[in-house]
Amino acid sequence: MSAIRAEAVSKSFGDVAALRGLSLSVDAGELFGLLGPNGAGKTTTIRILTGQLVPDAGEVSVLGVDPVTEPVEVRCRIGVLPEQASPPSFLTPREYFDFVGTVRDLDDDVVAERVDGWTDRLAFAEQLDTLNTDLSRGQQQKVMITATFLHEPAVVFIDEPLVNLDPIVQERVKRFLAAYVEAGNAIFLSTHHIEVAEALCTHVGVVREGRLVAEREPAALAPDESLLDLFLAEVEGSA
Amino acid sequence: MASVTGDGSAAGRSVTGTVVRAMAREEWRLHSALFGGRRFAAFPGFIALAGAGAVWLLVWSGTTPATIVGWLHLLVLAFGLYTGSAALVGRDAIRNLLGDVTLVVFSARTLPVSERRLLAAFLVKDVAYYAGLFLVPLAVAYAPAAAAAGTLARLPLLWLTLVLTFVVGLVLTFAAIAARSRGTSGTVVLVAGAVLVGLAWAAGVDPLSFLPAGLYRDPGSLAPYAGLVLTAGLAVVALAAFDPTYESPSRTADAQLGRWRRRLRYDPNGLLAKSLLDVGRSSGGFGKVVFSGGVLFAVTAALVGLAGTITGTTPSTGLSFGAVLGLSSFTTYNWLTQFDDLEAYLAYPLSTAAVFEAKFRAFLVLGLPTVLAFYLLAVVVWGATVPVTLAGAVLLVGLSVYLFGLTVALAGLDPNEFLFDTVRFAAFTLGAAVPLVPVLVVAFVLAPTTGWLVGLSAAGVALGAVGVGLFRWSVPRWAARYRAG
Repeated sequence: MSAIRAEAVSKSFGDVAALRGLSLSVDAGELFGLLGPNGAGKTTTIRILTGQLVPDAGEVSVLGVDPVTEPVEVRCRIGVLPEQASPPSFLTPREYFDFVGTVRDLDDDVVAERVDGWTDRLAFAEQLDTLNTDLSRGQQQKVMITATFLHEPAVVFIDEPLVNLDPIVQERVKRFLAAYVEAGNAIFLSTHHIEVAEALCTHVGVVREGRLVAEREPAALAPDESLLDLFLAEVEGSA
Repeated sequence: MASVTGDGSAAGRSVTGTVVRAMAREEWRLHSALFGGRRFAAFPGFIALAGAGAVWLLVWSGTTPATIVGWLHLLVLAFGLYTGSAALVGRDAIRNLLGDVTLVVFSARTLPVSERRLLAAFLVKDVAYYAGLFLVPLAVAYAPAAAAAGTLARLPLLWLTLVLTFVVGLVLTFAAIAARSRGTSGTVVLVAGAVLVGLAWAAGVDPLSFLPAGLYRDPGSLAPYAGLVLTAGLAVVALAAFDPTYESPSRTADAQLGRWRRRLRYDPNGLLAKSLLDVGRSSGGFGKVVFSGGVLFAVTAALVGLAGTITGTTPSTGLSFGAVLGLSSFTTYNWLTQFDDLEAYLAYPLSTAAVFEAKFRAFLVLGLPTVLAFYLLAVVVWGATVPVTLAGAVLLVGLSVYLFGLTVALAGLDPNEFLFDTVRFAAFTLGAAVPLVPVLVVAFVLAPTTGWLVGLSAAGVALGAVGVGLFRWSVPRWAARYRAG
């Protein structure tokens, strides 16, 4: 059974068609990267798969649960890191993790132990009691990554995970993500950074005008092929 | 090449013109994005109509034109004070509503235009924009009363003094922000202002005589001209003093969320504690909720005094304060929804209904005790019998819950949209007036008999039930609407 499945999904906002029959499937142990130009439908796809939006047509399931009919149940089981998301302005990171632990029904000890691990990995222990609104964008992103993985979900949706992070932390996050999928979890990654997708993803899809137009395994690319060429051919070649 | 960083050259002036035009366009699009272009375009018409209705009511009830003009100027002064703070301080609030918004006024880092020129352009834009959009309809609303009083020819002068009053409010706020950018706390600025006004009064000088309203009363009076010179001077000093590089120091806090959640008892997901912490830790803290209640308290006190003079009978303290203070539901709910956005919660296993429920409980915890405290203060100051006090309290709670339910039904989690959305604002005004006007008529005109008190208490209970009903009915509809995108 696929960890994430979308079948002929369509969604319009007024006259603008964001998705036009998009289909995809991601298995456990896969790090799926969704590439596409601006406005291609990447964020809409994530919002539908995580139960935030209802599609106009098509079927979706995440870990065997339908996000359309059971959005809260889906979000119990998954982690979501939206694009450019920032933690609640007037809470401190420590309070925010307490909040996330409460919402996700985690024991205080478990939260404390996992937060310790993440503050070590991403180096932000000194900011735990600073109001989130006063943190830099990079520090806020560290807080958001921690909150996303706090309950160690089997499926995670991430929109641009490395944005605003310094190169050292980027490297640590990349290594963590690779290990996370190796442990049998699934990650759905939306990014504009083709080199990130190439280095991290086990499976990549290119979306254009609301449709999945190409799928590849980066590891299976021929020596004279690159994801960038594939992307440009699919996006620019048809423009 | 001519400098564009504030040299006063022809090129510099043309850049200022370009910036002002860009800001005006931006202001229009900001409002259009929030409320829809047509609804926003209809707003001046609505102001003119609603204003004319209010003026007609006041004239009909015997209020003198001079009093109406005085109130109009006070209203515009408050609006000027608010506009300055909302635009320059409320950046977070705008971001919460529209996402990551970059306004032209904050673009000095990316454009070769100095911060001070941008700020000056911003103030000019605000004055021009609101002088047309709000103050023209407000002056037009007064036209029937002016015609009746034979002062129609002075209507342009009224508009001019309203514009100048708006400028005074805007400059005062901007001066306070400039002082803050130099490290002076808002409280110190507020206290210094109050002391200055107090000293003037003690010295036998009426500070209000320096406001532009005096020009409408008597164009030959010198004090308002002196006030305008002072305002211009303050604007220049504030522009010079404003430090655009100022960043407030990082704030830390003890972990209080869990403590608050346990203390509040019924807060299964922490959303109630979070909503309260958001209000308490944002600019102004819980003081802004108290301030909003205080403004309504002062307005009610003035209305009670006015009604007493017009009708010749002493209005019922309990019933009039009980009715008007209920209006603070809107502002309290506005504060409770100002600092977050629903989308942020949809990353967690939380339903939209859970977010609404938490806002309702936060309203009960924060809003009701605040208005009840002001209500008790009114009862202590102006006196009321025990039955009237009890009936007024029931009415206050019922009306508060009703107006909360009405606000949620019409605006969901974005009550600030009321400000410029003609259709919803009109619906809210009508929905609020239906119970409020009859209650105020009874409170201001009729002696409260036992029968009336029982009836009004029952009305209070019924209104509360309607409010809860509206809330329960609208939440699933809003949830479906948000998920439809």
